[in-house]
Amino acid sequence: MTDVTSNSAAAASLSAERRARRRKRAFRKALMPWLFISPYLVLFLVFTAFPLLFSVYLSFQEWNPVTGLSGMSFVGLANYAQAITDPWLWKSLYNTVWLAIATGIPQHVIAIPIAYLLVTAFRGSFRHLYTATMFIPFITSTVAISLIFYTIYSSNNGILNQWLLGLSSVPVIGALFAWVPDAMPIRWLGSSDLLKPAIAMVVIWKYTGFNIVIYSAGFLTVSKDLYDAAKVDGCNAWQQFWHVALPMIRPFIFFALTLTIIGNLQLFEEPFILTAGDSGGVSQAGLTASYYLYLVGWEWLEMGSAAAISWILFAFIALATSVHFYFNAREGLEGHN
Amino acid sequence: MASVELKDLTKSFGDLTVLHNLNLTVEEGEFVALVGPSGCGKSTLLRIIAGLEEPTSGDLTMDGQWVNDLSPRERNIAMVFQSYALYPHMTVADNMGFNLRISGMGKAEIKQRVEETAEILNLSELMSRKPSQLSGGQRQRVAMGRALVRNPDVFLFDEPLSNLDAKLRVQMREEIKRLHKRVRTTSIYVTHDQIEAMTLADRIVILHGGHIQQVGTPTELYRNPANVFVAGFIGSPSMNFLDATLSTGGDRATLSLKDGQTLHCPLSDRLPAETEVTVGLRPEHLLVAPSGANDNVLHGTLELLEPTGAQNHLRVSINGSTLTAVDNTLASVTVDQPVALTIEPEKIHVFAR
Ligand SMILES: Nc1ncnc2c1ncn2[C@@H]1O[C@H](COP(=O)(O)OP(=O)(O)OP(=O)(O)O)[C@@H](O)[C@H]1O
Ligand SMILES: [Mg+2]
Repeated sequence: MTDVTSNSAAAASLSAERRARRRKRAFRKALMPWLFISPYLVLFLVFTAFPLLFSVYLSFQEWNPVTGLSGMSFVGLANYAQAITDPWLWKSLYNTVWLAIATGIPQHVIAIPIAYLLVTAFRGSFRHLYTATMFIPFITSTVAISLIFYTIYSSNNGILNQWLLGLSSVPVIGALFAWVPDAMPIRWLGSSDLLKPAIAMVVIWKYTGFNIVIYSAGFLTVSKDLYDAAKVDGCNAWQQFWHVALPMIRPFIFFALTLTIIGNLQLFEEPFILTAGDSGGVSQAGLTASYYLYLVGWEWLEMGSAAAISWILFAFIALATSVHFYFNAREGLEGHN
Repeated sequence: MASVELKDLTKSFGDLTVLHNLNLTVEEGEFVALVGPSGCGKSTLLRIIAGLEEPTSGDLTMDGQWVNDLSPRERNIAMVFQSYALYPHMTVADNMGFNLRISGMGKAEIKQRVEETAEILNLSELMSRKPSQLSGGQRQRVAMGRALVRNPDVFLFDEPLSNLDAKLRVQMREEIKRLHKRVRTTSIYVTHDQIEAMTLADRIVILHGGHIQQVGTPTELYRNPANVFVAGFIGSPSMNFLDATLSTGGDRATLSLKDGQTLHCPLSDRLPAETEVTVGLRPEHLLVAPSGANDNVLHGTLELLEPTGAQNHLRVSINGSTLTAVDNTLASVTVDQPVALTIEPEKIHVFAR
């Protein structure tokens, strides 16, 4: 009798011990993945999550960073109210949308056919060469590019004006440029009508190559069989492009458009450098939303307002992206196999 | 409809010559099967006829017109691709109607023709699906439908039934045969399956290593194969081959096997001139010899007996090689015991070695 009870007690303690050990092991197993991603988590918390939350807090304060943290005072929604009544905010949003459309559409309209022609013409190793070439503007510092364009656009001895003058004295095509000498010097960066197109040119120049690379990758995924089938179905070269190649790269178009929309709404360096950082250029024709944000925060040292504006800008980008997703995502994200 | 003619057609990819000097005429309305082992150039030939690949040299004519330079569109051919090549972004109905749409046909007529074809191919339920939502066999049928919905001068089929199950394959085979009887469109049909070739084709072209081995009706190829390759390729189970020495004394030819056994066959001008020959014996022509028979009898040992229901397949070891015989009489024979096989003299094939 006693034997039996002591046995079962021993068994109970044994199984309790085993259970405890198992729990410990399960805990360690659950902990392991967190341990592995902890370096990223720490960086994320310090450099992303904290500034994000801090800027929410900041958008309800009035704060000049020069006064130190103690200089903060709570102002409620005043920053938001002030921002949306500021005509410069609306002007900057208008300029941003203008530039987004004027640079976004050409980037893709140019990149898609060029990528198609390149992929059709070269499937071999030359492809890597041109891909690398196309990428150079994208990886070159925007500041450097903008500075170079700044000199190109220079009204007195910029290459652009010199070229136009030169063309106007070329025999046959000169007639097309007959207006140039009268218009000289054309002040590309100094007139409110020409500033935005001048900025747009730089952006288009910088990002079209990047899109060509994306679309080349897209066209390469279209198997040769499909073109063969299209030929047998009676398609000419244009119909092969329009009915087969283009629909096949829809996911790539969607991806590239998303990048363009987000990137263009954050446009800063190009207008900033081309206007020499001077309040958005002539009558603020080059003032983009990010530029405006910079002025408020770092020129005028109104960090609270800047934080509020950045959240307004965020809402704006989110809206634009969701509109794009709403209309294009179902088709764009649909995989083919 | 059009006739298709190849004249000294050669195709090379770089140093690799895939097709050597092919000469072939496919008559208007004819159904020609192209058979041969994997990699012998069947798809390449089809692609050249379609205009998707250029021949390295030689001429291709359709209806007497030289078409080397014409695009697939101008040749008006329909092709079923080995890889289906369906448009992933289009529904089944759009895939099938694409050619008609490109050629400018009205929506209502396209719809009607697509629906008719879908009916034949049992695809009516799948019309609004995308290819990624179909099984391999269903995709293959859509690929067929895409060709059949058209009204081309020539049909080119590249192994169109290879992915279907046995029952569906027979059904589709009959459907193709019926269709061809009705429309009589010139067709060139690539297949691995000799039964398919034999049942469908007016004539069969046997390709091996880029050379045409023989062209003929199914019966011709079966009765008078030109060489060992054709003989082994046509017929199932395939022909048995034995080495022998040929001597033509008297009123018949004598074939002596290495172990001294002999077979006799009639003299004919098809016998090779050499004395060292290969003898071909079709399994279905080898009969279990009645006891006491002694002319054209081969003695061996039964190694294996494979019953298939209506017939038994016998594997008989004779002089170190193993012959297959198909026995329709279901004779009672015992494994590992001696067995005697006999064959009619007219059914013996003799090839130069
Ligand atoms: N574009 C190409 N470049 C180089 N070689 C090729 C090319 N296309 C085919 N070949 C070669 O040509 C030969 C014939 O190929 P093909 O596809 O015509 O064979 P097939 O008879 O259709 O074979 P299967 O029955 O396996 O489909 C093969 O050796 C193949 O490797
Ligand atoms: Mg093939």
